Amino acid sequence: MSNESEAGVEVRKCCCYFCHNNCGVLAYVKDGELLRFEGDPDHPASSGGLCCRGNLQLQHLHHPDRVNHPLKRIGPKGSGQWESISWEQAIDEIGAKLEQIRAESGAEAVATAGGTLRTDDWARRRFMNAFGSPNSFHNAHLCWIPTFMVEMTVYGWCPFEIDVGQARCIVLWGQNPGASSMPAQAGFTNLQRENGLKVIVIDPRYTESAAKADLWLPIRPGSDLALALAWINVIITEKLHNADFVKNYCEGFKELRKHVKDFTPEWAAELTWLDPEQIRAGARMYAANTPGNIQWAPAVDQQGPPAGECMHARAILRALTGNLDGPGADILTGPAQDYLTDEEMEANDLLPEEQKGKQLGADKYKLTTWPGYTLIAEQSKKFWGKAPTAEWMCEAHPPSVYRAILSGKPYQVRALLVSATNPVNSYGNSREVLAALEKVEFMTCCDYFLTPTAMLADYVLPIAGSMERPSVHTNYGVSDALVASQRAIAPLYQRKTDFDFWRLLGLRLGQAEHWPWETLEDAYFYQIANLAENFYGSESYDAFVEWPRFHYPEREFNRYLEHGFGTPSGKVELKSSILEQLGYPPLPVYVPPAESETANPELAEEFPLVLTTAGGFMPYHHSEHFNLPSVRFLAHEPYTDINPRTAGHYGIKNGDWVWIETRRGRIRQKANLTEAVMPRVVMTQRGWWFPERDMRLPELGGCLESNANVLTSTEDAHCDPLGGSWANRGLLCRIYKAE
Amino acid sequence: MPQYVMVIDRGKCVGCQSCTVACRVHNDLPVSVIYNPVVTNGVTGLFPHVHMTHVPLLCMHCRNTPCVDACPTKASQQREDGIVWVDQDMCVGCKACIMSCPYGARSSHDGVAWKCTFCKERVDAGEKPYCVNTCHQKARSFGDLDDPASEVAQLVGAKGGQWLLGELNTQPGVYYIN
Amino acid sequence: MAVKHHDDNWGWMLAADFFFAGMGAAAVAAAGVLTFAAPGLSSPLVGAVGAVGVGIGALLLILELGKPLRAWRVFTNPKAILTFGAWNMTLTAGLGFVLASFAFPIFPWAGVAILEKLVAGLCVLCGLIVAAYPGVLLARHKARPFWHGPGLIPLFLLSSLATGLALHLLCNAALPAPNQALVQPLAVGTALLLLLQAVLWVAYVYVKRSTGTEHEVAAAERWAKGDLAPGFGLFLAGGMVLPGLLVGLSAPALQVGGALLALGGGALMRLWVIKGGENRTFLPGEQLFRSRLPIGDEAFIRAGK
Repeated sequence: MSNESEAGVEVRKCCCYFCHNNCGVLAYVKDGELLRFEGDPDHPASSGGLCCRGNLQLQHLHHPDRVNHPLKRIGPKGSGQWESISWEQAIDEIGAKLEQIRAESGAEAVATAGGTLRTDDWARRRFMNAFGSPNSFHNAHLCWIPTFMVEMTVYGWCPFEIDVGQARCIVLWGQNPGASSMPAQAGFTNLQRENGLKVIVIDPRYTESAAKADLWLPIRPGSDLALALAWINVIITEKLHNADFVKNYCEGFKELRKHVKDFTPEWAAELTWLDPEQIRAGARMYAANTPGNIQWAPAVDQQGPPAGECMHARAILRALTGNLDGPGADILTGPAQDYLTDEEMEANDLLPEEQKGKQLGADKYKLTTWPGYTLIAEQSKKFWGKAPTAEWMCEAHPPSVYRAILSGKPYQVRALLVSATNPVNSYGNSREVLAALEKVEFMTCCDYFLTPTAMLADYVLPIAGSMERPSVHTNYGVSDALVASQRAIAPLYQRKTDFDFWRLLGLRLGQAEHWPWETLEDAYFYQIANLAENFYGSESYDAFVEWPRFHYPEREFNRYLEHGFGTPSGKVELKSSILEQLGYPPLPVYVPPAESETANPELAEEFPLVLTTAGGFMPYHHSEHFNLPSVRFLAHEPYTDINPRTAGHYGIKNGDWVWIETRRGRIRQKANLTEAVMPRVVMTQRGWWFPERDMRLPELGGCLESNANVLTSTEDAHCDPLGGSWANRGLLCRIYKAE
Repeated sequence: MPQYVMVIDRGKCVGCQSCTVACRVHNDLPVSVIYNPVVTNGVTGLFPHVHMTHVPLLCMHCRNTPCVDACPTKASQQREDGIVWVDQDMCVGCKACIMSCPYGARSSHDGVAWKCTFCKERVDAGEKPYCVNTCHQKARSFGDLDDPASEVAQLVGAKGGQWLLGELNTQPGVYYIN
Repeated sequence: MAVKHHDDNWGWMLAADFFFAGMGAAAVAAAGVLTFAAPGLSSPLVGAVGAVGVGIGALLLILELGKPLRAWRVFTNPKAILTFGAWNMTLTAGLGFVLASFAFPIFPWAGVAILEKLVAGLCVLCGLIVAAYPGVLLARHKARPFWHGPGLIPLFLLSSLATGLALHLLCNAALPAPNQALVQPLAVGTALLLLLQAVLWVAYVYVKRSTGTEHEVAAAERWAKGDLAPGFGLFLAGGMVLPGLLVGLSAPALQVGGALLALGGGALMRLWVIKGGENRTFLPGEQLFRSRLPIGDEAFIRAGK
């Protein structure tokens, strides 16, 4: 209850930190103690809403299993024997070890694995650049980054900003905001009612959002590329494209028309398991209802081999329909001009060219590593004056790093600095990842809890959570807008932010000149100095959060009319010159999914069903929150969606434990019999581990038992040659009852 | 005297259970007690011709209360503004109210009955129940049905508003719209 | 933490309460009726045993409460049927003892016939109320489709009377009534009640299942074909038909066996009716949702504490 008059109670403007929506939270604080909180009704995105997780701020803050002090391993790896030490000792010992490795094996022998937006990763990149290693990585390859880079090559920016308020149609391509972006779903439902917005959902599963869609296209997992190519074919064949826009602002239309001639709906029907008329209906709905949007989601990013081609085809769909940068369309904002971008905070010029060349995976996956990033960043600087963030957009290829730990090739990676991630559950092919984590010579882990990964670390650092840290949200450092939040309270115990970790380690390793900011607020204030001085007159970071908290630059539509597009030709390059230059197909070619009944018929005899490890599900986020009973009670066991007809065939009843097996291994989940998936499709939940179990080796919290990533594939043949995405979806599997 | 009711828009609800958790956390409920589960009707039909809707449940704060009628101790009671609640100090734990509620809105824990109170302390302080505020979809509205200017009165006026199990003549204070 | 799914329904103790109270109250009521007919027609034990039955029922009712020490509060809402039932059970138990006391000359009022008849009349009134009361209580539950409707009232009344009369036969076997004139007609009556019950029970489930609401059909399905079907068959055959035949047709020794079976059948019937009440007017999808909730003893809950 907001009893403002209560003596000594201060209301702090914070945000939830349990997913990417970062909903606004008003925290009621007295004498440094968080009394209560509620959703901030004035927050521009969340309008007072908080999901299951958002309501857990106090449970998370005071969780009995939180790591509260730096821990140093004193027993064998994974034995759970720790000694509490001071930050000074931890940083000193970690720094000494890193110095030793750098001296003996080169800076590139130190890699760092990240999680998703729980951190300030410009600080991590700044540390790594100054240290001299090119081997930072996240699960970036599975989540948006390759899309961003492909679209950079096609029209010079990634239109992740959508002007849906004025749109007539939106395609939710493998996205289920009904379980992942709650504020967005609210907007879509209202626009459907008030503006007649048409919503198309492309998803193998009948999701929360599909249930509210105007058209649902349940495709075979991993066949999105065939659908996208067929849509291009329909739009061109039926002359549904925006002829003026294509003629005046696009390059390569003639070649494209010829290129997609054979990608007919009939051709795609066999691959997508859709009816040709369904495919046509989708293409027509999108093309006829302009302006419109295609909303990005990680579904395409997680398909491995066809991912990059599909991103390219999807970008072409936007261009053909003229759905670029106009009112109601997908908007090309370019990087922020009013404050320092994350890229400008990263100090990328500190990393020597020679070290860039050692980035793991850069020889194979050029678009999202230094070779492609260099071309794209140059082009971007020429056009926008600024480059996209290097952290995320230009990273080592994670499976290549794990394999380098295991094989020593092309060189031995000796240290892994883990921050805000639990790779055993989050990265592909968990058995390989676990082997690498068990083998790596030196590992530190910054986390809230002792996850299966943290259990294998040499040092675990206690990290401040959502109510204990400020945050600035700029969508991986590439949005032109900004949302800022405060700390509710100072970090409890000895918790610190990840920024503090990288800074302290930097100071220990002689990087003092690069770390002038004592606190994260100081660094943020440096980043927004221009906003503070020239826009709002804020005297400190906290003052900026008090007011205005947000910065949305005035929307400028159709910039291309005056400036063209940020590509080498200045036009939308349907046929991409940058992709061609990097040795990739300049027009999107058809590539089958990692495993399919059409391309691998023998494998399909053994593994007759198609697996998707699919998206987020309430109430969890990735591999988090299983240890919070307040949400765990809603879903305390893992479930796999199976069509009742398929289950009947295998003698599986609702609620039975079943094994789901691919060539990589098998996991156990309970059967959820549902008509939401087609009879040939199996959908597992991801992320599962069991914090209530023995967390020591060998059990390690049951982290392989029900973990969907045991099933996924990261072998090079299953990775997208452009962006390095590996195969989480569209894999062949079999199921059987677990006794 | 206001007549407090809730209006729930099933067309907006996505079944995320945020309300379930917000209620549990802020009202400090034991793990086994759920005041407002969201149940999913579906997926019904045969793939791909399927359908799915969600029904947020809570105490219906009926105007014709089987639970209050059943209580032998007067622990279960209804305020003049329609809010039904249990004075747990008076409750003997006979479960008569639990058995009499068609909606499963009550549960037994620690020897007494527990149920949604429309967050009556918040309501008395001029606030809305936690479940209403936490909903991203704004699927829940709360207010005084007798006040024609209130959101709930306007929604019920414009869209009708259905009762769950209305045939049982419980006359709920929770209305569902689409 | 208690096991959740069992917590939110009435348990076996309430069924046992219904059984003991119904049987005891009917025995007391029957003793009252016999008192009017002629002196010494029932075993001197009956009144007291019946009253003890009602007392055991009341004790079980108290133990079933979440807060037994506050049991006195159930007498405090005159508008609630539970309060009405609690008063009547208390009165019946007391009256049963008083009625029994008239058989023992050491009590000064033992010879006062008018007083005995007054007490007997009250016993009949209160005893019949208690015998019928569980049926009325359950029948009012519109939330519980298997119970809802007047059908359970005659079934409970019949069962209480049958078990009450069976108790008479048992007491008579232990301590015969001074006047045995009505014992055999009583046995025949008991048999008829038992057989009538079996017929009505089949009809009850048949009507619920064939013409009930969607929820009633689902609830009755458990009796016809589901998890309650074996027990239903058992109390029909072994607790009503067989004891009906034994009590009605056979020698005194077999009558005792029949009476015991009838008591067993009555107890099982009530337990099954309570279980039948687990079926609520569930909303679509609700049972699946609840079936996947933790029951309360899961490791993650213990770990989270």
